[in-house]
Amino acid sequence: MRGPSLAVKGGILLAAVFAVLKFVLPLFTAPLPMSLIWLYLFLATVGIVVYGTLSGESTEQLMGPIFRFLSGEGLNGVARYARLAVLVLFPLLVGWETYSGLVPNTQPPAENRTIHPAPPGEFVGLSNPVPNTPENVMMGKGLYAAFCSPCHGAKFNGNGAASDGFNPPPANFSDPGTIAMLQESYLFWRIKKGGVGLSVEGHPWKSAMPRWEVELPDDWIWKIIMAEYAGAGQKPRTWE
Amino acid sequence: MRTVPARYGTAALLAVAAGLLWTAPALSQETVVVRAKLIQGEVPADPMAPIWSTIQATEFPLSPQVHWQKRIGAVTVKSVKVRGVHNNKQISFLVEYADPTRDPADAAALEFMVGDKKAHFAHGQPMGQVEGGPVNIWYWRNDAPSAVDMSAQGFGTLKKQAQQDVQAKGVWKDEKTTIKFKERKQSLRKDPKGELVKDPKTGDPVVDEETKVVEQEVSGVWRVVFTRALTTTDKEDVQIQTGTFPNIAFAVWDGKKLESGDLKESGSQKAISSWWYINAEPPPDYSIYLYGLVAVVLAAGVEFVIIRKVKKGQSA
Repeated sequence: MRGPSLAVKGGILLAAVFAVLKFVLPLFTAPLPMSLIWLYLFLATVGIVVYGTLSGESTEQLMGPIFRFLSGEGLNGVARYARLAVLVLFPLLVGWETYSGLVPNTQPPAENRTIHPAPPGEFVGLSNPVPNTPENVMMGKGLYAAFCSPCHGAKFNGNGAASDGFNPPPANFSDPGTIAMLQESYLFWRIKKGGVGLSVEGHPWKSAMPRWEVELPDDWIWKIIMAEYAGAGQKPRTWE
Repeated sequence: MRTVPARYGTAALLAVAAGLLWTAPALSQETVVVRAKLIQGEVPADPMAPIWSTIQATEFPLSPQVHWQKRIGAVTVKSVKVRGVHNNKQISFLVEYADPTRDPADAAALEFMVGDKKAHFAHGQPMGQVEGGPVNIWYWRNDAPSAVDMSAQGFGTLKKQAQQDVQAKGVWKDEKTTIKFKERKQSLRKDPKGELVKDPKTGDPVVDEETKVVEQEVSGVWRVVFTRALTTTDKEDVQIQTGTFPNIAFAVWDGKKLESGDLKESGSQKAISSWWYINAEPPPDYSIYLYGLVAVVLAAGVEFVIIRKVKKGQSA
């Protein structure tokens, strides 16, 4: 007994590819955009068509059921109603897609903000000139409490009392995705130049981070950096 | 020739169609945009106008201004509820917030970017690597005879515009309202013997922090309405086009007089937000329904031609 025709296998394959990309993949990684899913489905379709048209027999296996479905030849019962439904739904789907493409966008523009944009060259690879002694760390913690904790929080978690109104919120230093993956020189740049020192991909117009260079001397900033790492239980990234 | 597989083909096609419908975007709850609803007739200049109760508010949390000197550590107003309406010519924003006392120096302001360049929310201060633009500030103060239409591009550049286009009116009511805010409590961790627990790495006392959202009933509500034409002839003004998403930021001052004679909040000591969005609802565009209909007809026509061709091929 022969198995399902090539058209059926192709249909099942496309449905499986769609299901994997749309529902299974997001369980392991970031969801794929629909545009990329469509591209993969298109490539899979091209593959099926190329494979299915290699010979006259395979072409019949691929196209035959589709042609018969479209013409209605030999269909009865549920299949007849399904054909009718598909023939009605297809134009409606095209109409819906056209409408959705033209309808005014009611969502604000996507904010593709880079959280850690590249620092200017003069801030790359600087080493902390202040010795990492308990006294300096202690002084850094005092400075942090006075200048940084209102936003970044007493527990270095970005949960300061002044953090609620800002978009984006202050950085959470206890998160391994923030200072733990940055060098001290990067923090020096961010503290010294503040939010307004960010490059365009960092959306500087939104950042509430003060430009501390106008108020704090450099050695205070280096001490604050030591305190942030110590307080958050993190270590700065080093040169590999 | 087998004809049965068409049934399976049907199932596969239906599965793909179901998958396509599954991907339709879901409606999401509003949190970052002030939706200015399109209405017929005059926009309300009165904060107590009945229409405001029919407009959904968007609530924005505020922070003490800690970005630049002179800073403030705590502020009275924790959030503002904002509503908007427009009639294709004029736009009105209702800013509502809890303030227990009605003071002459109580004030509120809306801030917008002007032009195509991005502007920093702190008075459009210069940015190191990005050429920024100016901001337009609509300012209302309880004891001022009228609203002030202002511009700024950097600290110390705030100025009243030559052309004043904004109107504002505030009403304070001694009524109860519920405010929501985050409450943070910190305490030093102690062991069962009552001794302070110290971090084994640093030797510092371990601090426990509890954060919860608190709902509190307070008396006293300010409702302030700002009104302006959607677009003006003044180059220093924000021009609000329907359907677009201009940025907006908020500032509020509790002008209560302290025993020292100073105001509790004034100047740069205020409650602020950074940038959010407004969206003036565009007028309905019925042509999109027509285009959708044309697409349905075209698709049905293509379908008809293909089926006819297939049938002819099969009968040949």
